[in-house]
Amino acid sequence: MAGGTIWKGRIHCGGIDVPVKLHSAIREERVQFHLLHKRDNAKLRQVMICAYEQKPVPAEEQAKGYEVEEGKYLIVDPEELEHTSPKESRLIEVHEFVGAGEVDPVFFGRAYYLEPDGKASGYLALAEALRETETEGVCTWTMRKRSWFGALQASGNGLRLSTLRYADEVVPAKSLELAKIPLPEKELKIGIELINQLSGPFQPEKFENEHQKKLQHLIDRKARGEKIAILRPRRIRPTAPDKLFETLEASLKKVA
Amino acid sequence: MSRSIVEIGGRRLPLTNLEKDLYPPYGFTKAHVLDYYRRIAPVILSHLKDRPLTLKRYPDGVEKDYFFEKRCPGHRPAWLKTADLVRDGGERMTVCLVNDLETLIWVENLASLELHVPLAKAVSPKTPDSIVFDLDPGEGANVLDCARVALILRGLLLEWRLAGFVKTSGRKGLHLYVPLNRKEATFDETKRFSKAVAVVLEKNYPDLVTSRMAKEFRKGRVFINWSQNDASKTMVSVYSLRAGEKPVVSFPLSWRELENASERGDPDKLRVLHSEAVRRAGKSGDLFRQVLTKKQRLPHP
Amino acid sequence: MAMQGIWSGTISFSLVAIPVQLVRAIEPGRVSFRMLHSADYSPLRRKMFCPEEERIVSPEEIVRGYEIGPGRHFLITDEELESVSPERSRTIEISEFIDLREVDPIYYDHPYYLVPEKGGEKAYRLLAEVMERTGKAGLARFVLDEREHLVAVRSAEGVLALITLHYAGEVLPAGDILAAGGQIDALEKGRMKKEIKKRMSRFDPDAYADGRRKSLLDLLKKKAKERPPVEAPAAEGEETEGPADLIAALQKSMRKLKEDR
Repeated sequence: MAGGTIWKGRIHCGGIDVPVKLHSAIREERVQFHLLHKRDNAKLRQVMICAYEQKPVPAEEQAKGYEVEEGKYLIVDPEELEHTSPKESRLIEVHEFVGAGEVDPVFFGRAYYLEPDGKASGYLALAEALRETETEGVCTWTMRKRSWFGALQASGNGLRLSTLRYADEVVPAKSLELAKIPLPEKELKIGIELINQLSGPFQPEKFENEHQKKLQHLIDRKARGEKIAILRPRRIRPTAPDKLFETLEASLKKVA
Repeated sequence: MSRSIVEIGGRRLPLTNLEKDLYPPYGFTKAHVLDYYRRIAPVILSHLKDRPLTLKRYPDGVEKDYFFEKRCPGHRPAWLKTADLVRDGGERMTVCLVNDLETLIWVENLASLELHVPLAKAVSPKTPDSIVFDLDPGEGANVLDCARVALILRGLLLEWRLAGFVKTSGRKGLHLYVPLNRKEATFDETKRFSKAVAVVLEKNYPDLVTSRMAKEFRKGRVFINWSQNDASKTMVSVYSLRAGEKPVVSFPLSWRELENASERGDPDKLRVLHSEAVRRAGKSGDLFRQVLTKKQRLPHP
Repeated sequence: MAMQGIWSGTISFSLVAIPVQLVRAIEPGRVSFRMLHSADYSPLRRKMFCPEEERIVSPEEIVRGYEIGPGRHFLITDEELESVSPERSRTIEISEFIDLREVDPIYYDHPYYLVPEKGGEKAYRLLAEVMERTGKAGLARFVLDEREHLVAVRSAEGVLALITLHYAGEVLPAGDILAAGGQIDALEKGRMKKEIKKRMSRFDPDAYADGRRKSLLDLLKKKAKERPPVEAPAAEGEETEGPADLIAALQKSMRKLKEDR
């Protein structure tokens, strides 16, 4: 079941005005560890230490500095920072619509479900319109003192809002400037054949978080006082460039 | 916007804004800057190698805003060597390592006129390879006063069987390096030693030297900035350009040169411009080479 | 502590193995702050503190524990943790290929890129090209930061782009919040479709900048003009001149030097 309401706003675009409530769509599970002091297993706490006094500095004595030159800082106080936060607004403003699937996966942040706030007719019509046009809305809004950039998408028979990362945080694949290496067509052909053999539908339910289970198992065994066998990870030997073709052939034989 | 592509070490590098004058009114464009670093590469690269680079970028020239960047810019080619460091605050940071000509040219295409590096390498950030005495003239003092202090320091270090190497800061001061190149060296030790030296010089030459940072002590004196011997500090690299009116270089000097300049009272000899730097490096090679290789031990009294 | 790259290992499909490094696809923006002590602007360091002994604990004294009751823990070592999934800590083994268009973006978590290591360039190029031509992405599981992730690897302009996916169990069912049901007003829907068509465009992320970041930069610019930046006291808090014997020995050399002149 989706989490509780975390924010309320209204989707706005020209004549469209749809009030909604936000709910988390993701809940991560992970085994929590604590950091302990070796000698007495006391739980440790993270603190900020002054380099010269070697003692913890309480939050009220901490200042934020922007380093303009080595060891030289512009101090920014909390009120000034407050002023830089965007003005509160309840508007999810849709600026344009793009084809569904056009946004590169690298941009996607976190997803939220939207629930109609009040009358559902506008909400349902918008969800259906997005679905039929196979589009998603590119929008901006302000939430928790931050400006967000996101995609408004149809989801099931409802609506979903996914945050998007700002372009200046995303490293474009092109900027990595990998060298181009020519490949013989026969290797490509056999590679394509191999991939087709190994292809299937995406079934996310097939993948359980086994690691989490195995970790829990390890903890249970430790609890019973069992000794844990240490297994070392190994790196597998890379395929030599001149062996690529025969390795592909052998792979194909194996799966066919 | 001009754009041209060069091929270095098998990498294709797009260069931009080549005609941009980065040193107005002297007149020294980005093309000149790139050419300077290309020519000085044979001597500068070993001093930058494996050290986290701090960039000081002047995209609009020395008279305009600059960017001080410890992080390696995100838009970087995959072949560029980087290291991941954890800063004191716990924050992770990816830094550039300038280990070859193609990286140097890539960095200079970002208009990073000045190249700053720490005294330690990225793999051993707590191990200083040398001690530095950063001689910084206060108001009313000049580079000749620094030369006097450097010569006194040299004598004192020789008493301790330590060889030192000096370079111009490219501004008003001098930097004296004492190579150690030993795994056991620590910043605690080098800082303690450099501070003690600064304090002793101050006692013996109170009108010439101060070991204290506060402005009131620095007037008319040379401040021996011993606090540069710290893992978090960087020094401008030898052979780096400086951002100033003219493209002046932080350049190594022989002790003879320093003595001559000091005797003649000629501060101009202690300012090396880009063209002279290229000429001199071509003629006499890397005068700072031993800073990277000479093994010396700090004596324990 | 220094290290190279985030992760280095092997990506494999069937019998082909390619040495690769993982690099970030997301870099923080330029504005980042450091925490300073407001008393003297000296930088603060993040350290672990033992409240029992009231002292800072060095990394060698820290162990990892799993809490089984108030104040009661088991210790888990790095080696034990790695033993949970040793085969997946150095290898990204593609178990199958899928059509990435079938993946609902709700599953996307964090993106990275893989770059080839020496000797792996050709096989890397082949995998990228073949995925590009077939429009397929590989599914694999591997361990990063003590967690095993389900990941999709695809080709983005010839670069292998890896994205961690949420597990199906982490995606919450929308439940009744979307099951509002009810009639869709055809007129209203038509009006909305018109609105959508009027605003159709190509996705251009560069057109959207973080307004907050811009106003932060403006603020910093303004502050830089108003007054000079503050400086930490360069360890001048240490009042001592240095060890007395070192000072004395240096002083002795200094005296000798002066006499020789």
